Amino acid sequence: MNPVQRFFRRYIFSTIRIVLLFIIINLTLFFLIMVAGSMSDSDTSFSVQELSGHVTLQNGVWTADDTALSLMEESGAWAMLLDQNGTVIWQQDLPEELPRSYTSGDIASFSRWYLEDYPVKVWAREDGSLMVAGFPPRTLIKYYYVLNWPYMGFLLGGSAAVFLFNLFLISFLLLRNTRRVEKAMAPALQGIQDLSHGRPLHLDEQGELAEINAGLNRAAAYMTRKDNTRAEWIRGVSHDIRTPLSMALGYASELEDNLLLPQEARKQAGIIRRESEKMKRLIDDLNLTTRLEYSLQAACLKDVDLVEIGRQAVSEVLNNGLPGQYELTFSEIHPGRSIHLSGDAGLLLRMLDNLLQNSMAHNPQGCKILLSVDEEDGRCLCTVSDNGTGLSAVLLGRLNQGQDISSSRDGSTGTEHGLGLKLVKQIVRAHKGTIQFSDSVPHGLTVQISLPGGK
Amino acid sequence: MEDHRILLVDDDLNLLEMLLSIFTNAGYHDLLAASSGAAALQLWREQKPDLIILDVMMPGMDGFAVLREIRRTSRVPVLMLTARGEAEDRIEGLETGADDYLSKPFLPKELLLRTKAILSRAYPEQQRQVELAASTVDLSRAEVWKDGETLSLTAKELQLFEKLFENAGRIVTTGILCETICGEFWQGYESTLSTHIRHLREKIEENPSRPVSLITVKGLGYRLNLKEEKP
Repeated sequence: MNPVQRFFRRYIFSTIRIVLLFIIINLTLFFLIMVAGSMSDSDTSFSVQELSGHVTLQNGVWTADDTALSLMEESGAWAMLLDQNGTVIWQQDLPEELPRSYTSGDIASFSRWYLEDYPVKVWAREDGSLMVAGFPPRTLIKYYYVLNWPYMGFLLGGSAAVFLFNLFLISFLLLRNTRRVEKAMAPALQGIQDLSHGRPLHLDEQGELAEINAGLNRAAAYMTRKDNTRAEWIRGVSHDIRTPLSMALGYASELEDNLLLPQEARKQAGIIRRESEKMKRLIDDLNLTTRLEYSLQAACLKDVDLVEIGRQAVSEVLNNGLPGQYELTFSEIHPGRSIHLSGDAGLLLRMLDNLLQNSMAHNPQGCKILLSVDEEDGRCLCTVSDNGTGLSAVLLGRLNQGQDISSSRDGSTGTEHGLGLKLVKQIVRAHKGTIQFSDSVPHGLTVQISLPGGK
Repeated sequence: MEDHRILLVDDDLNLLEMLLSIFTNAGYHDLLAASSGAAALQLWREQKPDLIILDVMMPGMDGFAVLREIRRTSRVPVLMLTARGEAEDRIEGLETGADDYLSKPFLPKELLLRTKAILSRAYPEQQRQVELAASTVDLSRAEVWKDGETLSLTAKELQLFEKLFENAGRIVTTGILCETICGEFWQGYESTLSTHIRHLREKIEENPSRPVSLITVKGLGYRLNLKEEKP
């Protein structure tokens, strides 16, 4: 999953979490309000049943005790007791305008609704009389519902269905919207990523993000133009240097071989020749590294034998005359066995040659260099190790972290690191391999390259 | 070899002068020089050189155009020189029909070595005898003369010997030698190569178990040492 997809997955999950949180908070608040409302209901403290218990017939007279009076006073209520005929047989603070006798229809009406504007509560006593308590208008609201049993089931099921449908609808719209945004944004975000890796880019300049895409296309074109200009400039300079350098190399070589010249002059000509060869190598490295960097040259991958490439690299160095202070050895861990991989023979040869030259360049006092090739767990390994001065821990660390150390100086020898190692790393990358720099034992540098094996 | 007529072509007069100096010092005396494509073509038609050293980048008619014109009627060996080191140029040069390709800057030794190799391939009849420490090899007759005796070389032995002779004094890897006798798909033919090398040694060495001309370079390949190497 690339970073763009990861970003939108995270966005979707966080939105789903927000919706769930929203629902949970709302349900919690709803129940809290319900509880708070029911707790603040003053009517809970008033019970008609309790009042009824405190109104008794004493010596043929209906009498309310102090508790009953106190209960009524707290609620501002009035009360009356109706006998089986609907006649008021006892009352306390009954408003004047209310009748003193009620028909069964009146009783059925006010027990459900209001008596005049007074909200009332009733309690049927065991002796057949009816205790009625009334409250001041606009203190209680009374509702009366009659529902059929099947309808009740339908209502509850329907509510749950509506809730789930809403949840589904919200999720669907949310995902669809996110998908649309993702679809519109993904090419632009991918484009930014491609730009950061220097890959070519062309986005469709249509839709809502047309302007952003056009901007990215312009940035990509600008970077490509800049890269091409830089590559052309390097090619031009290296081309212009090649001919004069041929003259320096050619004449210096002629003078070095001229036996008629004094020994000292021939020695100096030899120095010019060697330095010119270094410049030639530098130009070749610069050209190749530029071509690989700006994708002007792709690795031409074929089935190649790493053992033979190793042999050719070592033979080339030996054929060109290995100075006496160096000893160069080639070693096959499994002699006689080929090591196949899909690679560009020219680039791999150059990679090994650069590593061998690197060992020599950083050990002018001389050293033993070993190039060994091996195959392990389907990986092709080639190792170049020397027993020279090696590299400082800082430089080793930087090299292993993939940092560019060209133009930095080696503290131990003072030799400047050229493009050689940069080119080696580029070639390793072009073959999807890995490179590891470490100290040799007891001293020196070991470079191990691991490349994916072939058939 | 020194009798070969070589045409040197480069628009840079200083470089042309240096090329003349390199070849003269190496013992080549029949040299022609041209500083443009048109002049090169005229000299080629009039003087019929045996080898052309041709610069690629020249104003007007470039090296590729000159080579194409030459290849319409002639197979004269051509070594291209270029200040551009790119692989595409190399491929274009070889596809147009160049025999070899050398990037500037180059070492005089490398130029001479390649010239020698091209000439020996193109004019084998003039390179018939190779002097070794214990024998003389006649490449045109595929024969070895040793101790007054004449021994024949098989086709594979001759191919091997020619490859080693082209690179005399230099290590030639096992892979390159196997490719020479078995073609592109040479893997697994190392033991066959060892057999051919053993037979070749029996014919050219005085003591095949202690070779002095055809040397094994351990782990890498073989090297042919000539009795007296000439430039």
